[in-house]
Amino acid sequence: MRHQPRPSPRPHEAMQRKKAEADHREKKPKFCINDHIDILIEILKRLDGPSLGVASSVCRLWCTIARSDSIWEHLCFRHVSSPPPSSLRTIVVALGGYKQLYMVCVRPVLSRLLHSDLVRSRVWTRDEVQLSLSLFCVDYYERRLLGDTSPSSLMFLCKPVNV
Amino acid sequence: MSLYSSCTSAASSAGSSVSSTTKTSEIDCLLAGAGYRVRSSDLRHVAQRLERLDAAMVNSPAEVSQLASDVVHYNPSDIASWVDSLLSEFNQTASLPSDLPELPELVVGPVLNQTVLAEDAWTDHDAPQHQQLNNQFPVMTAMEEDSGIRLVHVLLTCAESVQRGDLAFAGSLIEDMQSLLARVNTSCGIGKVAGYFIDALSLRIFTPQGVGFGGGVGLDAAYENEVLYHHFYEACPYLKFAHFTANQAILEAFDGHDCVHVVDFNLMHGLQWPALIQALALRPGGPPALRLTGIGPPSPDGRDSLREVGLRLSELARSVNVLFSFRGVAASRLEDVKPWMLQVRPKEAVAVNSIMQLHRLLGSEPSRNSPMEMVLGWIRNLNPKIMTVIEQEANHNQPGFLDRFTEALYYYSTMFDSLEACTLQPEKALAEIYIQREICNVVCCEGSARVERHEPLAKWRVRLGQAGFRPLHLGSNAFKQASMLLTLFSAEGYCVEEKEGCLTLGWHSRPLIAASAWEALALPDANSPATAPGIFVNPHSNPPVNSL
Repeated sequence: MRHQPRPSPRPHEAMQRKKAEADHREKKPKFCINDHIDILIEILKRLDGPSLGVASSVCRLWCTIARSDSIWEHLCFRHVSSPPPSSLRTIVVALGGYKQLYMVCVRPVLSRLLHSDLVRSRVWTRDEVQLSLSLFCVDYYERRLLGDTSPSSLMFLCKPVNV
Repeated sequence: MSLYSSCTSAASSAGSSVSSTTKTSEIDCLLAGAGYRVRSSDLRHVAQRLERLDAAMVNSPAEVSQLASDVVHYNPSDIASWVDSLLSEFNQTASLPSDLPELPELVVGPVLNQTVLAEDAWTDHDAPQHQQLNNQFPVMTAMEEDSGIRLVHVLLTCAESVQRGDLAFAGSLIEDMQSLLARVNTSCGIGKVAGYFIDALSLRIFTPQGVGFGGGVGLDAAYENEVLYHHFYEACPYLKFAHFTANQAILEAFDGHDCVHVVDFNLMHGLQWPALIQALALRPGGPPALRLTGIGPPSPDGRDSLREVGLRLSELARSVNVLFSFRGVAASRLEDVKPWMLQVRPKEAVAVNSIMQLHRLLGSEPSRNSPMEMVLGWIRNLNPKIMTVIEQEANHNQPGFLDRFTEALYYYSTMFDSLEACTLQPEKALAEIYIQREICNVVCCEGSARVERHEPLAKWRVRLGQAGFRPLHLGSNAFKQASMLLTLFSAEGYCVEEKEGCLTLGWHSRPLIAASAWEALALPDANSPATAPGIFVNPHSNPPVNSL
């Protein structure tokens, strides 16, 4: 093969090549969390309730994830000593979902129990889970029977604790 | 004795020297030994003055230091005049009421104990009142306390005269009490409770007999009762405790059974059952098929409240995948219910649940074929796996009116005390009306109109034992659950106690409601001779020798 002398680059071609290089540099992986939903979920799973609420205002993707019940399920049982039975999910979903369970029941119960025990990082026992669920169930039933304006049996959970 | 403690505190603050005097008969010799000259007749007066001085000193420490440095006192061993002079230094307002009566001697023996105990319950209330009241008038709190104590005394005197039949005198005492009421704070504590009891007494004295109060008479009363009951459920933990404890016992009794049937003696809104349905749904091994029979009063206007409740419960059960069927039995009295109405099937495990219903079957005197005997008999024949009995822990079925009244005064004042912690309105107000109806029934009604015939746990043990039931111990799970429930109710005074397998919930060591569980002893075989110590009630044979 005869060696052909390289033609000298014309200005137009030089500019195109430079642009291609620049584009190539830009396309190098810049980490965007929204591209990695599994990591995002892992992070959001570890937030507390109020932070999850804030997170849901960031963007649509975060909103969808932060509102999904599975994240709240994780939040509800984060402190439980033994994993909850698998049949639990159907029931909680039927009664209004994990987010509802957390807002209406788990959060006030936990804060009340933690406050009275004066121990901060305490594992929540299975009995306490059961009690919360029962209270949640009664509340659900009351709303169905008597309407949303009925006295909520969970109002007592919102009362300030006598010190 | 408080007199001595007042003396010694006055002595230490005044730093007086001891002078020995040996006057004889008039002077109190015990105080003379300590160096003070007080006439025996003056003792009570001096004691009151010392208490007021004590209160005044506590409330104005600035003046005390002035007293210590500037003022000169002569002859402190003459306590009476010394105290008077000190009090005048404090510039107390002149309205030390001269008509403030001597504390009456509480003469009647058993009444004394009750009243003194009741005082202890009420001083918890007077404490916050002290802080609320203006510090310039410490005397007022002493007077209020006096009025409160007088109120109780007059209440008991009035009740005693009602028992004697002297209604005229009792009526005049009502007027006295109304005026005393004006001097106390009626929004809490002794004032509020006394108000209700005064109303109940006036109803009894001024209304012809035979009119029923608070017994849930009439069809409209049933709906009102439901609403009041619901608010009582929200305002304080007694009914929640009852429901959760009974549910735990029933859950444990149903372990291993696939067809279960619960008979509820008073369905109301059915608030007890969602938690049981949910717990059964989560049972390892899957939920059983659940039947619920709810007994309740017939509803007016064709509105079938029982059926509505049943529908909602079915909805709930369906959404958590529990096979559920409901049956309502409308009956205005428990003794009108016949076992065939319950349609118990042979293979199912039966639980009978009675929350504050059994006492309605009691009459004043035990008799043969009484409603209680009859109902306990057919319950026994159902052969239930468990019977949960929750009753008020009080002795309101005594034959004597005064005893009943005194006991009720103590019991309900404790209950009102516990209700003070509730801040939810209108729950609290309606809960108070609910309790007030009970009070009215206990105080005003007689005969068949009086249905609130509460009896203490000890009596129920005897009665149920004689009827062929054996106590089941409520396990530690029930106790743990009850304690947890109480932690969630922020008021610090509630206490759960376990007594021989039964749980009681009370306020400051006075139990107010008791929960127990029972199982039916095996019925004796028709052919074999009776082997057990013969105290069964066998409805097929002659009535038992021991009356219940």
